[in-house]
Amino acid sequence: MPTAEFPNLFPALPEIFLLVAAMALLMFGVFRKDDEAGPARVRCSRIVARLCILALLCALILVVTMNGSDRVTTFNGMFVVDRFAVYFKVLILISSALSILIAQDYLEVHRVARFEFPVLVVLASVGMMLMVSANDLMALYLGLEMQSLSLYIIASFQRDDQRSVEAGLKYFVLSALASGMLLYGSSLIYGFTGTTSFDAMAGALAAAPGEAVSLGALIGIVFILAGLAFKISAVPFHMWTPDVYEGAPTPVTAFFAVAPKLAAIALLLRVMMEPFGALTVQWQQVIVFISVASMALGAYAAIGQSNIKRLMAYSSIGHVGYALIGLAVGNEAGVRGVLIYMAIYLFMNIGAFTCILSMRRRGQMVVGINDLAGVSKSNPMLALALAIFMFSLAGIPPLAGFFGKLYIFLAAVQAGYFTLAIIGVLTSVVGAFYYIRIVKVMYFDEAEEVLDRRMDRPTALVMAATGILIAIFFIIPDPLLSQAQAAAQSLFGG
Amino acid sequence: MAELWATLIWPVLWTAIKIVIIVGPLMLAIAYLTFVERKVIAAMHLRKGPNVVGPFGLLQPMADGLKLLLKETVVPSRANRSVFVIAPMITFILALVAWAVIPFGEGLVLANINVGILYLFAISSLGVYGIVMAGWASNSKYAFLGGLRSAAQMVSYEVSMGFVIITVLLCVGSLNLSDIVLAQKGSWGLFNWYVFPLLPMAVIFFVSTLAETNRHPFDLPEAEAELVSGYNVEYSSMTFALFFLGEYGNMILMSAMTSVLFLGGWLPPFDVVPLNWIPGPIWFALKIAACLFVFLWVRATLPRYRYDQLMRLGWKVFLPISLVAVVVVSGFLVASGMAPGAR
Amino acid sequence: MIFQALAFYLFALVAVGSAVMVISSRNPVHAVLFLILTFFNAAALFILMGAEFLGMILVIVYVGAVAVMFLFVVMMLDINFAELRQGFLRYLPIGAVVGLVLLAELLVVLGGWTFAPDASASVQSPAPGLEQVTNTRALGLLIYTHYLFLFQGAGIILLIAMIGAIVLTLRRREGARRQDIAAQVARRPADSVEVRKVPSGRGV
Repeated sequence: MPTAEFPNLFPALPEIFLLVAAMALLMFGVFRKDDEAGPARVRCSRIVARLCILALLCALILVVTMNGSDRVTTFNGMFVVDRFAVYFKVLILISSALSILIAQDYLEVHRVARFEFPVLVVLASVGMMLMVSANDLMALYLGLEMQSLSLYIIASFQRDDQRSVEAGLKYFVLSALASGMLLYGSSLIYGFTGTTSFDAMAGALAAAPGEAVSLGALIGIVFILAGLAFKISAVPFHMWTPDVYEGAPTPVTAFFAVAPKLAAIALLLRVMMEPFGALTVQWQQVIVFISVASMALGAYAAIGQSNIKRLMAYSSIGHVGYALIGLAVGNEAGVRGVLIYMAIYLFMNIGAFTCILSMRRRGQMVVGINDLAGVSKSNPMLALALAIFMFSLAGIPPLAGFFGKLYIFLAAVQAGYFTLAIIGVLTSVVGAFYYIRIVKVMYFDEAEEVLDRRMDRPTALVMAATGILIAIFFIIPDPLLSQAQAAAQSLFGG
Repeated sequence: MAELWATLIWPVLWTAIKIVIIVGPLMLAIAYLTFVERKVIAAMHLRKGPNVVGPFGLLQPMADGLKLLLKETVVPSRANRSVFVIAPMITFILALVAWAVIPFGEGLVLANINVGILYLFAISSLGVYGIVMAGWASNSKYAFLGGLRSAAQMVSYEVSMGFVIITVLLCVGSLNLSDIVLAQKGSWGLFNWYVFPLLPMAVIFFVSTLAETNRHPFDLPEAEAELVSGYNVEYSSMTFALFFLGEYGNMILMSAMTSVLFLGGWLPPFDVVPLNWIPGPIWFALKIAACLFVFLWVRATLPRYRYDQLMRLGWKVFLPISLVAVVVVSGFLVASGMAPGAR
Repeated sequence: MIFQALAFYLFALVAVGSAVMVISSRNPVHAVLFLILTFFNAAALFILMGAEFLGMILVIVYVGAVAVMFLFVVMMLDINFAELRQGFLRYLPIGAVVGLVLLAELLVVLGGWTFAPDASASVQSPAPGLEQVTNTRALGLLIYTHYLFLFQGAGIILLIAMIGAIVLTLRRREGARRQDIAAQVARRPADSVEVRKVPSGRGV
């Protein structure tokens, strides 16, 4: 009979804190008297949003301070905290906090400022943190569902807007399908190894190297990969991305483009490296294919887009492709490249979305690329910031985006994957075309009607901060590099 | 052949005999419950009630039954025939099968299964199907509305009922109905029955059973004033009789459940000489009768709830209270070391 | 023994038969009713295997609550299934091909199935045997200790689902009158009844 030993809660303290805070804020919001779309409700949502940001920051401090450099597991080995997890949790918390910060104004303008939004973002971040810390197939699935369920809701948060509802529904149906594939793969893996724990799985698979691994287990891995590839919107599981990005409210799209991707990439890295590390040869070809396909599609499909949100969707598909090169390489340098890439990707994307959020004409949001014409004259700061982000996304030195790609390609070249690196460089050249086209529209096209100058303060602050970070990364890259190095090492048991 | 007899035929036959022993008196009880209901309500209204057929009107239920049996079954045009006929059968069968796990005395139970209380709960939660199917199949607005109301109402009250059952289970440490009764045995006599330590839960449970059986003041699925007779408006003759029997069977069943959970089942109030000479099944029947009386009393006294009030009571009052009670009871049991299995 | 075998075949047959009816019956309400029958037989199969707790919970949760809501919705919506089925024959060949491919894959996988060498050792068997405890207790001992993390996580997921349902559907109607129990109870005769002497022949 199992002994009822109380689990050690300290490694999970940030998650527990966030959950308690989210529930407390939920109660706060529910018990405050509010009226439909009235000023009291807006005020309430503002307070809750601020408190949510505060909670996320507290959790951030907890994450950073609570961890030693050791690998700690708890809850019977289902939950693991190591440098790798800490690295991603920090990024996730930052992106969640920034998303809430830039969302408030948009929600108020569109009369959907409700206190549930920041709470749902916090709950989604908890799900992502659980994903990052998952050390068991069941824990993985729970974290994934916790995240996805919150995302479905906030995707259709503008519930009177058909496109928003459509986005939520589309995401829900396809995501459920992906979850099904993931579960099917998990059950095959469980059938082969007899365990759901990553540690035990790694042992079982290492003991049966190469040809002794049955076909069923391999198919299981492929299914798990497919499920996770959906979550990071890699080709061929990307179909939902443009529609969802376009339909969802813009701050939600900003959140979608960053935090869930971080978590899913982290999960993918951990699952492929830890339990399936012994089977690198088998899954590598799949990753290589996904990576190349994503880069190519991201580069070519974005060219014809006229909606900037759809363009960002294809851009994110392409960026996932670049990040996956690092995974395909499958060694410590590759993982380090992915870690650096994702951190930079976070700031570039959040920054780009602050610019998109600021595109308004007579108080209405506009999302056409042509609407940006003449911004350089009407709103030079916005134009400058967007130009920085676009150049960085394209990977033009000396901006941060260049270094992200650099480390990935370096890792690929060092490990001898020249083809991958070459395809990567070629597609980034193609990609540079449409990023720079935006800059061209802003600076050289004449506008029939200019955008508003108004910009709310939090968004402007975030825009400035991310812009400066991206621009001066090359001066002080060291903190990020060393942290990424340590995190990558911890994944390889170093 | 002898072996086959001993291993297969006799057990089946014996079970069948036991079923007859349970169902026979039960049917009689249902029949006379209708009679008692009319008499009790009549007394409360200062009327006489049925008094023509037989001495004191005692043959009235027989006459009613005979009348229903001899009438023609009318199936409305464009009704969904098979579902229409199956619905009353479901209601009636469910009201009977639940009795398989009710303990009438120590060891006097047809199937002494481990999860008896869950079985009862499951069967009572299925009761909604008969009504919903009837409402849908009748092809009538009133019947349909009655069916929908019933579905929402029964599902709502099941939730708090479940939590109340959990508080009892926390005190007992078993899901077996005989164990639940035996756990209420003690030197304090009737003060050991759970109705005293868990009084608020007992009240909530009883009110929920009123809603679960669609009885007054929660008889909105029938609500003769608005829905003429709700889900069974299109039913006649035997099909109607089955609904009727099912409803009263459910009342008795719920009373039995209340007795087992809160009133000490077959236990006498005090384990002293004249009282414990009376056999357990008699005590059990008396307790059921007492609960049934309250059912009738409530019907004679209280006006019907409005539908939103009904939902409010279920979700905003009973659910939070029973939820808190689960926490409080389990906390108390753990803190005081009285939790079963805390060795 | 023979009794159990008979019971198994009965329940299994009815389960499979009603499952087929779920997808082939023309009337959506009938389909849901057959689905319920399938659940019911699955519960019976659980009980036959000695998992009585799971069987009962299946009936309580799926048949008693989820399927009721499902039935509720299907009855209210006027779904024309004949219309939904229009493309059925047209897509049948493609569907059949996909199904066959999947079946073939499954057969290949299962045919060449091997277990990892230490799979049997790594199978966690924290559940005590059924001869020691009832399976309700065994489940409780596992869920609340070994799988505490997953249990709580599932709880959070359900909370999120609940928030979602409320956020996406709840609307305050203008002019809806809500009951205020406290106000009703606090009302006194003096607040609402005025006693007047009415002079006869003149009215109020």
